[in-house]
Amino acid sequence: MTAGSMDEEKLFAARLHAVRNRPYLATALFALHTVESRRVPTMAVDRHWRCYVSPAFVDRTPLAELAGVWVHEVSHLLRDHHGRSDRFAAEHELTGPGERLRMNIAADCEINDDVFGDGLVRPEGAVQPASLRLREGQLMEDYLRQFRLGPYTAGYAWLDCGSGADGLDRDWDLGADGAHGLSEQERDAVRFRVAQGINGSPGDVPKGWQRWAQEAFHPPQPWRELLGAAVRSAMSGAGEDYTYGRPSRRSAGLPGVVMPSLRRRPPRVCVIVDTSGSVSDAELGSALLEIAAIVRAVGGRRDLVSVLSCDAAAHVTHELCRAEGIPLVGGGGTDLRTGFAQVQRGNPRADVIVALTDGQTPWPEARPPGRTVVGLFSRQRPVDENNPHYEPEVPPAWARVVTVG
Amino acid sequence: MDIPSEAAHLRPLDVAADLLALLHDTDTEPRADTQLEALTLAVSADLPVLLWGEPGIGKTAALNQLAEALELPLTTVIASVHEPSDFSGLPVVGDDPATQGVPMAPPEWAVRLARAGHGLLFLDELSTAPPAVQAALLRVVLERQVGALRLPPGVRIVAAANPRSSAADGWELSPPLANRFVHLQWAHDHDVVVRGLGGTWPKAALPRLDRGRLPDAVTFARRAVCGLLIARPGLVHQLPKNEARRGGPWPSPRSWEMALRLIAFATAADVSRDVLSMLVRGAVGDGPGLELLAGLDRMDLPDPETLLADPEVAVLPERGDLRQTVLDGVVAAVRRRPERVRWNAAWSLLLRALETGAPDLVVVPAATLASLRRDDWPVPAAIERLSGAVSLSRQADQAAADAGEDR
Repeated sequence: MTAGSMDEEKLFAARLHAVRNRPYLATALFALHTVESRRVPTMAVDRHWRCYVSPAFVDRTPLAELAGVWVHEVSHLLRDHHGRSDRFAAEHELTGPGERLRMNIAADCEINDDVFGDGLVRPEGAVQPASLRLREGQLMEDYLRQFRLGPYTAGYAWLDCGSGADGLDRDWDLGADGAHGLSEQERDAVRFRVAQGINGSPGDVPKGWQRWAQEAFHPPQPWRELLGAAVRSAMSGAGEDYTYGRPSRRSAGLPGVVMPSLRRRPPRVCVIVDTSGSVSDAELGSALLEIAAIVRAVGGRRDLVSVLSCDAAAHVTHELCRAEGIPLVGGGGTDLRTGFAQVQRGNPRADVIVALTDGQTPWPEARPPGRTVVGLFSRQRPVDENNPHYEPEVPPAWARVVTVG
Repeated sequence: MDIPSEAAHLRPLDVAADLLALLHDTDTEPRADTQLEALTLAVSADLPVLLWGEPGIGKTAALNQLAEALELPLTTVIASVHEPSDFSGLPVVGDDPATQGVPMAPPEWAVRLARAGHGLLFLDELSTAPPAVQAALLRVVLERQVGALRLPPGVRIVAAANPRSSAADGWELSPPLANRFVHLQWAHDHDVVVRGLGGTWPKAALPRLDRGRLPDAVTFARRAVCGLLIARPGLVHQLPKNEARRGGPWPSPRSWEMALRLIAFATAADVSRDVLSMLVRGAVGDGPGLELLAGLDRMDLPDPETLLADPEVAVLPERGDLRQTVLDGVVAAVRRRPERVRWNAAWSLLLRALETGAPDLVVVPAATLASLRRDDWPVPAAIERLSGAVSLSRQADQAAADAGEDR
């Protein structure tokens, strides 16, 4: 702590107040190293977990609000807003302080909709999604796609949570070489300890923090990639490979040596689509598009891909399949078992079965021959008050299950 | 045949060669490179490394630098353009297969490597090779067996694969195979690329093992891994539930042994925690790796008993959260064995903490320590000086009370 005219007692009493109200953030709050700075408008963090504090701001802000600011600033660091800002900027080729201000605002929206209340006062002038006419509970990246700098944001032009919030270096930053910074590994360790604390006793932790803690070190995989991986891996081995069945072209030059040759045997893929009312057209459409793309990518021929829809009204499936040139086979009830049975009756048999469903169906008793991938549309299932212990049927263990959407 | 005259006729490509030479003429500058240090250590530790990275990201350039640092000749084999027999050996039918068997002849590069006795074998594009080639290759990577030939121990192997998302015809690593690799994510650094294209490439000083530290490094690594696994038996073997994560690093006795080896190497080479973090997480996965690293951080903290024995010379950690952990530990030690001398020593430590760092850290330990007082222990005079912390605590209480009234 640099000596100065700052009311340290007030600043640290505020931190103590914050720790008492948010004990699960104690490690992170205590890990912040404070630096007194007159160039900072309020309080700001850098990516090395230093917290720059303006003495004038400490003087004019009530202690309870100051505690809210502590939690707000440490939230930027815990949620890696600087890293995410950098990635977003690189991905969308955004430059300039205006864009970084937008990132700061979006990051603030992500934090402010769920950190205050419950003993912690919202600091005056804190950005709210509602003040930008946006819905609450979204991520910084989502907010960034929804607003531009304009009249709604004009009031926040002074906003500055530092390089720890938006990734843009400030002239007051002490930088990577300065004293008391945390290395990348130390930062990860602090975030991990906080996440572990929350996961260990999630009881009175708000939902937003619980979600963060679960995903802090394992961000959820995009289902498209997962579905692609599952289908690809179901197909590998069924596709092209080497075999000793026929002599290789190279054999002529090497008498006496037995060479394998590459022989193509693309897999037959059958997609069973549950088109019952509970599956939305949009979900189905995107899932089917992915499947078509995957099948194309693995070199599947159109005549080897068939789609079987399990419902009466399946216009999405039909249109898509027509557009993609995939032949449609038959129809059936909403019971996927009939679909599986029909696939197995097919001649020749499918090597890979992909089932897209919301899971509200009985499953076949026996494992079908070939590999099976189940794309499961995830949704909040309504709780049946008469039968709270009702568990929906889960996909069988023999299928690779990917949660879609 | 015409002999060219002195005023040689310049062929068009001669000028091109001059231009190419100018383009090749680049500088290097020293720059710390965490991922290259991690790779060097894992290769020194003789563990199979799998580099995950997009094509064209500079994996080959890194391998060149590594080979130079380890003083090994580099042999690159592009897996996807080979046939399985290039790795499992070509069956050569001899005179009498019934009695002599059919030998599996190794390819030329393997013979060359075996003859040299040492070298760095880089198996590139593992993920785009057909499954049979991959199967043959994994034998090379894990058992060092190329057909009938066994690669000597001096040969080190590194493989590279494209991440699942970018490999259209990619493959998933099966969990047992994934468990045998140290997974390193290879990413490019924007600054390095831009500066490099401008003519200055980085030159990393790669870690070297310090012979004098070897025994300590082994003790340290064993203590770290065993300490964690005694406290968290569930971490010994944990197959990830998520399908996609099974193809990456996950904890098992085998990967813990790799982690142990990596810690010993990192300690002997005295590399930064960032490098160690990359290695350990690449061996046992993010969660268990971070727990291990947190354990290492705690091993670095001063022992409460040592602090209590001599509070006047105690050095408390600078970082607030670590300091809090130490102070909590000190108070807990007094609670375990409450004696007047220890109680007084703990007060001196709290005072030191107050004088050298943020005051709010002291509040909770001070309150707990005060509650441990026995009736016949006089209040030490030093407590007076803790009044700052008390008033700070009172301010926070007031804020909480105000908030309560507002509600």
